[in-house]
Amino acid sequence: MTTQRMEIDIQEVPGAEGVAILHFSGDLISESVRRINECFSAVGKKGKTYAIVDMTEVSLISSAALGEFMGCRKRLIEQHGDLVFSGLDLEMRTKLNLMGATKIFRIYTDIRTALNSYKWEIERQPEKIHVSFPPYLKIVPPLRQLVSRIARQKGYGNRDSFRIETIVDEICNNAVEHGKPGADDLIDLSVIIDPDKIEIDVRNMSDPDKVASLTALLLPENAEVDKLKPDVKRGRGLTLIKMLSDKLSVECTDRGTSVRVKKVREE
Amino acid sequence: MAKTEDNNEKKVFPYCRKISFPFSVNVRFPGDLDYIPAVRKFVSELLQVSNFSSKFAYRSEIIVDEICNNAVAYGCRTDDAQIELVNSIFDDRIEFTIRDQGGTKDNLRRLKTAVKTDADGKKEQTQQGLGLEIVRMLSERLDVVIDEENLTSVHVVRKREDDREELRPSN
Amino acid sequence: MESQIELSFEDIRGKQCAKLIRFIGDLDATNIEFVLEKVCNLINEGIVNIIADFKQLRYVNSTGLGILLHFSKTAREKGGCFKIANINENVYEIIEIIGATTLLEIYDDLDEATAALT
Repeated sequence: MTTQRMEIDIQEVPGAEGVAILHFSGDLISESVRRINECFSAVGKKGKTYAIVDMTEVSLISSAALGEFMGCRKRLIEQHGDLVFSGLDLEMRTKLNLMGATKIFRIYTDIRTALNSYKWEIERQPEKIHVSFPPYLKIVPPLRQLVSRIARQKGYGNRDSFRIETIVDEICNNAVEHGKPGADDLIDLSVIIDPDKIEIDVRNMSDPDKVASLTALLLPENAEVDKLKPDVKRGRGLTLIKMLSDKLSVECTDRGTSVRVKKVREE
Repeated sequence: MAKTEDNNEKKVFPYCRKISFPFSVNVRFPGDLDYIPAVRKFVSELLQVSNFSSKFAYRSEIIVDEICNNAVAYGCRTDDAQIELVNSIFDDRIEFTIRDQGGTKDNLRRLKTAVKTDADGKKEQTQQGLGLEIVRMLSERLDVVIDEENLTSVHVVRKREDDREELRPSN
Repeated sequence: MESQIELSFEDIRGKQCAKLIRFIGDLDATNIEFVLEKVCNLINEGIVNIIADFKQLRYVNSTGLGILLHFSKTAREKGGCFKIANINENVYEIIEIIGATTLLEIYDDLDEATAALT
């Protein structure tokens, strides 16, 4: 069997200065080790500390080549970066697993996913989710679980995720309750999440008669009074949100009412 | 049981409105696999609170999963790509419309191949073809539209099942 | 990050090179890497006769199914097998739609699957 010559193409990523994408192709064998090393030295000289190694076109990887990648990764990690793989097919993943490499290297399905992970973890770039829904109370439980599950999926702990679920529940219930009677306007829920905090914004067309009572609930003295009334079924929502979150603001304009909450990750 | 719940709901939330069909819930999320489990479970729960059966909800969850996975894998080019899922819920059916950023030429070619059925009714069994095949089997209608700017939208219609089917004993 | 799946491993009494794997949760695109690594490690260690208990597997999609077929193929290539037992109706339906019921070894329960182990 003839070996396919290894080729390397280095690509920079606009907007992600620390990242280099290295497209490898052909067979990565012991003869390739020197070139792999030179390639990573060139990447390092350009100040890139995070290397995404695209393996889509690689047909073979030897233990010597893998060992070289390990050495390069170690050097990048010393500079607070990493070396990750992307684009491995099932066969190649199984081989790397057999060689014990999956315990060392992070593997992503494609370059975009690897890049997203870099932006999330290293650049701590926020991600946005938006849901618009009609003012039906029954939709709120699935909605609060949606946000809570996303938080958990993005690495937030159980306690934080549960608190986020409570916050979403309370704000959305308020939006449903304080909405303009008969209005068909949808409620907008926006969530901005990053590794350190989550910001939740719920916007709806409020009934003007209820806006005053809503904003009044923000006053500490009112909140305390409500908390002590055992016969009052509602009205503790904003008090609870205040206790669970780091920032709460209510804005009432002609375009509707917006309740914004910021919750810093604790765990 | 449901009536009692509704009554209690009314007592605590006197202004709350009952669900009336049709209605629409739109979800926009990053083109990242991480979000799909939460989104598909949301749709399943949304259908259950809208009085669709749990089986209907489960099958719809699979449809959402497959079309979202396709959108992430083949319809996102930039790292900030967003996917929009429109859930239009009628009393007798659900319609999903998913819009993505539109993939690369290569991805679009693969998508077209996966959607296309040849003269003998055989479909190409690529990983993507496999996902769309599940969607096709679980729905009444599946349309994939790729516009002039290569933006892709997938529209799926799934009808509420006959009650008798829900009661049919399993083998 | 991955969607929730748990795998637990148990020996199968009286059977050589065999393990029972219980799948708990959802098997989808976000966790195939994890599942792939765990099961392939077993196969590579010589545990080539595997029974997968799907009693608590709530969900599987086309990606998940892809790796189940991969496990079946790999185990067979090494002279073993990958048998599935206790599939719930919903998961079975998806396997059926894909036409994989003939490609996978599926049994009603664990006793039946264990008895079929050589």
